[in-house]
Amino acid sequence: MAVIEVTDLRKRYRELTVLDGVSFSVEEGEIFGILGPNGAGKTTAVECVEGLRRPDAGSVRVLGLDPVKDGRELRELIGVQLQHTQLPENIKVWEALDLYASFYARPRDWRRLLEEWGLADKRDARFGKLSGGQKQRLFIALALVGDPRVAFLDELTTGLDPQARRTTWELIKRVRANGVTVVLVSHFMDEVEELCDRVAVFDGGRVVAIDTPDGLIGGGDAEHHMRFTLVSGDLVELGELPGVTAVSRTGNRVVVTGRGDFATTVTASLARHHILVSDLRIDKRTLDDAFVALTGRSFDPTH
Amino acid sequence: MTKLAIVELKLLTREPGAMFSLLIPLFILVVFGSSLEPGDTVLLPMALAIAVGLVGLYLLPTTLATYRERGILRRLSATPVRPANMLVVQLLLQLVLAVVACGLLMTVAGTMLGAHLPSRGLLVAVAFLLGTAAMFAIGLLIAALAPNGRTANGWGVLLYFPMAFLAGLMQPKDQMPVILATVGEYTPLGAFRQSLQDVWAGGAPDPLLLMVLAAYALVISIAAARFFRWE
Repeated sequence: MAVIEVTDLRKRYRELTVLDGVSFSVEEGEIFGILGPNGAGKTTAVECVEGLRRPDAGSVRVLGLDPVKDGRELRELIGVQLQHTQLPENIKVWEALDLYASFYARPRDWRRLLEEWGLADKRDARFGKLSGGQKQRLFIALALVGDPRVAFLDELTTGLDPQARRTTWELIKRVRANGVTVVLVSHFMDEVEELCDRVAVFDGGRVVAIDTPDGLIGGGDAEHHMRFTLVSGDLVELGELPGVTAVSRTGNRVVVTGRGDFATTVTASLARHHILVSDLRIDKRTLDDAFVALTGRSFDPTH
Repeated sequence: MTKLAIVELKLLTREPGAMFSLLIPLFILVVFGSSLEPGDTVLLPMALAIAVGLVGLYLLPTTLATYRERGILRRLSATPVRPANMLVVQLLLQLVLAVVACGLLMTVAGTMLGAHLPSRGLLVAVAFLLGTAAMFAIGLLIAALAPNGRTANGWGVLLYFPMAFLAGLMQPKDQMPVILATVGEYTPLGAFRQSLQDVWAGGAPDPLLLMVLAAYALVISIAAARFFRWE
């Protein structure tokens, strides 16, 4: 069952088109990724879904409700973690959870959330004294304190160190395991690849693809690169081999590009001609490559 | 709403700025009050105006602009609670703070310094409420226009000093040039101080000054509402 249905969403700010006919749907119980570079319209789209922004055109249904008309009712059912939001420096962790719990008609027991999110020993700590990872865990806990059916998490691992990111990922998987549908906005390929069941790839205010991460990586023109260094023997013509699309050579370094099982053919040919190579590596296609294939541009996560 | 008020009250007591708003006017009162003639009617109204001015021009806009800058108002709008509740709670709490500050000043002045306390409570309340409304309106306008908490703080301080000077809070009015003193009487802080002083002197405040205060409160609040952004 689709919990979120977005159809032909449009939004302009003066001359700038932020959303240009965005459509996607999110199924119950999945982690749905919204991926794209900064400025692709990800956050705007999600904020329209949350009811924080009013789209110019298009329709949004969340749990059967209209986020603009039924905003209040909807906000009882969703949990939100927003990008660039903070809490007052001096609020204590338990006070924040207790306060946010009081906003909802049927909240979860925040003491349990404190335990679940590893914040029990930070109960009386002030927000300003928390580490980046602890703040992030508190934000997720605040997004869940209303016992939502859908949780929206926007750029939640930006600014975290690698270990804190890993930990956060495990926690997100736990959220889904508890039956909450998760919409995850991210500009990190690895995060989306690790967590999401399905991904909508945003670029320039449009959805350019919706698929599973594996489907995106395998889909399109799946080209792989094979690299090696010549140790002895002269390189033979590899360009004619089945599946090979390009060969380039810089000194002793050779890069062969191809599709399908071209690597087996290439290594067999090298062996047949007694050519000795070292540092043989085959690059797996990544979501980055998929993005380039979809948009014709490189995806630059460092903005 | 109750919980929001409790939490915000706790945050207010943890805010050093709130302590300053209580202590600065008290400090001025005590320093200048030690040489007070019995039955003085000038110093205490000055201290009260300083206290309300600090809360309205400095603490209120800084708090609200910081809350917007940190996305706290925005985060609230993603919950079933309206962010306007936060605005109401803040206004009430800052009003309570202004009342507490003035209560403290009057207690200290009345008991330790032997200052004159007016007998007509209703007139004091009217002058106090209108003056506070005008100050808070200016604070709200600053909060509406300032891009962040630090700027709001800067604007508050920047506005406070000329206003305090014109209002005769830096030096007694009779030592100011006549033209400045006259103009100053119609500034928000000046009208407030003068109204309080009139009550303290045993009379009723000039209705014109009360109307001036009410007009400031109304017009500036409307402007603040017009320019206020939640994010």
